Amino acid sequence: MIAHRGKKKGEPVMMYRRSVLVLVIALALCRGSAWAQMSHNHASEAACETTELRCATKVTPAFGPDGRLWLAWMAGGHVLVARSGDDGQGFTEPVQVTRDKLNLDWGPDARPKIAVDRNGQIALAFSIFRDNAFNGEVLVSHSSDGGKSFAEPRPITPNNESQRFEALALDADGTVFAAWLDKRNRVPARENGRKYDGAGLFFAVSKDGGTTYGEARLIKDNTCECCRLAIALDGQGHPVIMFRDIFDGSIRDHATVTFSDLKTPGEIHRVSHDEWQIAACPHQGPSLSIAANGTYHVAWYTNGRVRKGLFYASSRDGGKTFSDPLPIGQADHGPSRPFVLAGSDGVTMVWKEFDGEKTVVNLMSSHDDGRSWSKPRTIASTTDASDHPLLISDGRKTYLSWMTKADGFRFQPIEGDS
Amino acid sequence: MKRQLAVILMMGALLASAPASEGQSELKPFRRGSWQELRHAHAGRPTIVAFWGVTCGPCKVELPMLGAFMRDQAGVDVVTISADLVPDLPEATRLMLQRAGLGSAENWIFDDGFVERLRFEIDPAWQGDIPRTMLIAGDGSITAIEGSADMDELTKWVKEQLATSKLAH
Repeated sequence: MIAHRGKKKGEPVMMYRRSVLVLVIALALCRGSAWAQMSHNHASEAACETTELRCATKVTPAFGPDGRLWLAWMAGGHVLVARSGDDGQGFTEPVQVTRDKLNLDWGPDARPKIAVDRNGQIALAFSIFRDNAFNGEVLVSHSSDGGKSFAEPRPITPNNESQRFEALALDADGTVFAAWLDKRNRVPARENGRKYDGAGLFFAVSKDGGTTYGEARLIKDNTCECCRLAIALDGQGHPVIMFRDIFDGSIRDHATVTFSDLKTPGEIHRVSHDEWQIAACPHQGPSLSIAANGTYHVAWYTNGRVRKGLFYASSRDGGKTFSDPLPIGQADHGPSRPFVLAGSDGVTMVWKEFDGEKTVVNLMSSHDDGRSWSKPRTIASTTDASDHPLLISDGRKTYLSWMTKADGFRFQPIEGDS
Repeated sequence: MKRQLAVILMMGALLASAPASEGQSELKPFRRGSWQELRHAHAGRPTIVAFWGVTCGPCKVELPMLGAFMRDQAGVDVVTISADLVPDLPEATRLMLQRAGLGSAENWIFDDGFVERLRFEIDPAWQGDIPRTMLIAGDGSITAIEGSADMDELTKWVKEQLATSKLAH
């Protein structure tokens, strides 16, 4: 039986009781031999330790302007890129972006980012742990020869405080907008005797296809430091970022910011009042997609006092206000890792659930701009570790991109009326 | 053949019983079934289980406080479980535990890539946020604390547990 408490002293947030009827006596682990067995593949999220796609833990897809699929993945301490000419069935020989094996950010919400512009230039970004204290660093690279080679990765900013959770968005004219979480402002705060919670939300812009980035600028201090960002461009090409903010009282709920141009962040608006008061790393970032009609579609995880689980909401006024949160998935199957995508054929959402033995990817869709949704259905499953399920559209069709340890990389079209 | 087998068994026993080298804390691999093993080993005793990770900022703040708490509270079992799934993590984990004064605690580390399954065995509602503390009472009931634990609250809980234990005897 487990009673759950939030951070607030003694306040029961949710309680349920489960009788532990049987305590199973597992095999005793002998000290030396147990340790010697560690660090083999069963302990890893990867199926193997080399750099092939089948060994990847995180795989990120992107469609190029010619409709060909590109993948960036993390495997064996390297970041690699390959292209498919047949919708993910086969891939070219991967090109290794990283020169040396790196201590890549392996956090649940970390992954390499890839954007391919209309001229075939490729912008990449990913994070590493650069020291023994696990301070992060965002590195960027680019290819100007159609992915045949990549520039040596270098920091996105000269500041060497900790950075993580970069996100890229590509404008129609090839401008690359990057945002990330950055702890540089904790140093002056501490020097002045002030406490600094979380990390700053920063951005920079590249006008040369990700070759160089301009000055890093602050959007907001004191946001949650351990969740990925969601980023999208609205119909006018203005960046929109969804992030887990820290509100008064250490409440880690979500917010959005919409830029008025590439340099000017607008007001920050709270997505929902979940009231998740927690001094911890949730390791669960949001998902954001903007439809052609301007509707913001968002999904997120919370374990707040007001609501717990996965939720969806929409905004029809440019992110100023959001609809009432819609719960997603089966609460007793731990729904997590939502991804929402607004495409030409409606809005599609996927997420993971776990039943004690297997992980499934469930899908539901909406054909009325998020007002009503189909009944969830399972479109994939696996019985070992897996990446987050991602959705991507080539403008005609929506695909699920999902890396699994047991079954390899899956790239499957979303079929039928979902 | 029997002598060879005996030698192998003796060597295995020596390896199994050898203490971790001086100054180094032992890290037990936490796998499927480990939670039940842990519960069984501490059955009847108040036990505090702290889930943490080397990449978690709030955990780095909490860990030394938990180390001081363990030093002051002899009547409770303190267990830590590193829930970060990280390549080449053990050395960094050991170092942080030692610096926090937790080198002599019962320390585990996630050792199964299928973390959803590990977490499900512990608490199906847990989605991996850390730090997280579970207070297991002598009667087996569990209270989960999300986020950094308040050491005063832990101390109060231990006193209640010890008082309950005395009454029972």
